[in-house]
Amino acid sequence: MNKYLAIFKINLLNSLAYPAEMATRSGMILIFMTVFFQLWHVTYGDSGTQVLNGLTLQNIMWYLLLAETIELGRPRLARVISEQVKDGSIAYLLNKPYNFLLYQLSIGMGESLPRMGLLFIVGGTLVWIMAGPPPQLQNWPLAAIPLVGAWLLHFCFNCLIGLAAFVAEEVAPFEWIYQKFVFILGGMLVPLDFYPVWLQAVAKSLPFAYMMYGPASLFVRPDLQLFVQIVSGQILWLAVLGGLLVLAFSRGMRRLAINGG
Amino acid sequence: MKELKFLIALWKTNLASAMEYRVAFLSQSIGMILNDGVYFLVWIIFFDRFKDIRGWQLTDMFMVFGVSAGAFGLAGMLFGNAFNLGDIIVNGRLDYYLSLPRSTLLHVLASRAVPSGFGDFLYGFISYFASGQFSLDGFGRFIFALILATVVFVSFLVIVQSLAFWLGTGGALTGVAINAMITFALYPITLFNKTAKLILLIIIPAAFMGAVPAGFVRNFSWSSLELMILAAVGFLALALFLFHLGLRRYESGSAIQVEV
Repeated sequence: MNKYLAIFKINLLNSLAYPAEMATRSGMILIFMTVFFQLWHVTYGDSGTQVLNGLTLQNIMWYLLLAETIELGRPRLARVISEQVKDGSIAYLLNKPYNFLLYQLSIGMGESLPRMGLLFIVGGTLVWIMAGPPPQLQNWPLAAIPLVGAWLLHFCFNCLIGLAAFVAEEVAPFEWIYQKFVFILGGMLVPLDFYPVWLQAVAKSLPFAYMMYGPASLFVRPDLQLFVQIVSGQILWLAVLGGLLVLAFSRGMRRLAINGG
Repeated sequence: MKELKFLIALWKTNLASAMEYRVAFLSQSIGMILNDGVYFLVWIIFFDRFKDIRGWQLTDMFMVFGVSAGAFGLAGMLFGNAFNLGDIIVNGRLDYYLSLPRSTLLHVLASRAVPSGFGDFLYGFISYFASGQFSLDGFGRFIFALILATVVFVSFLVIVQSLAFWLGTGGALTGVAINAMITFALYPITLFNKTAKLILLIIIPAAFMGAVPAGFVRNFSWSSLELMILAAVGFLALALFLFHLGLRRYESGSAIQVEV
């Protein structure tokens, strides 16, 4: 466990070593939140009501902030792992005394944590100015736990896509489509509450809703029953995707051919 | 004319190179069409619920996506290095192009094609036809607007990434600039107030990649045409000026580079 903690710390410090670069990247959330605010401000204004589908403008902006923080802060491991598979550098990671998947998990967490923190602070400041204060502090833990679950689900998907390089020549299309499924079926750009009922049912039966809608929804509408529902859904999908990941990794190892040094 | 022949030769080489990896080329192109199509579902869901946003409807979004995706794809297909010019400058990889007797900027930009660009380009046409506003003259305007939007987009990328000559780094800023351009281009311009619209016309010229050309395709107007030509010429001139000004500051790393 100590070795993974050390890997996590190294990557955390590495991320913090370039504050200007990280701050510039955080600028993206300002662009997105500005556009979202314009869209929803006009939508609420034109509809002449304060509440749409149970959400106020303030709710929706904080929902979108958390969703964007997850999306922009999640690890981009698919591309890294697929490159390691394609150029053979995975061989240098496999002969070390650690588990490859836990190593990637430690790296991903080390990179994500400061990035997500900064995105939330930068974006949150803007949202506070535009739409009003965040949800009450005592409600935050209800969103924090599903946030970890959402991050782990993203990690599983990313690793699975990266390991797909063992069988597919190019994995980028998988990554694009996975991202768009998260956008649509995860309710990242438009909360699922605004979807037709049948589509809400479809989205909630898939893992994507637990990666975005779940934590973001709990952040603005804390509810113990919803919390239990989201967390149990996350545990179920983590078991499924985690199992698939272990299987894909062991299959990939059997296909791995290392020539020379 | 000489430069055009050179460009065509580069594009042919890029195409031949892409065809060498047919499966990757096809999977990226088809993947990108699916990616764009799935992304557009957000607007179908949104307009199914709200119908109209200050005069903008789903057909307008089809048109905006048509021009924006088409221009993004065309830029990637023909001038693929426009997306990583900053890294080329910072890593001293301009040496190779400087040593050859051709326009450095043109050569570096056209030396790479982004395979997924073909998918974006095709999706642009799919989205235009799906808008249900096809007419022969409208299609002509669509092609013309696509070319001008591509010029503005590539010029904007060159302007932003030429800052790498002074800043010594470019990756993060480029990412933000591309995201800003695409994000603002793909949203209804009627959402923004006058100041924001002015920014989208002058500082981040996203309006010239989305709303302005889309409006021109729908209904011909001399003022839109003039505005688009002015933007294309203006941003291109600024891109050429900044790149060549920066080039004077360029320092070679004397590294051995292999260009494939």
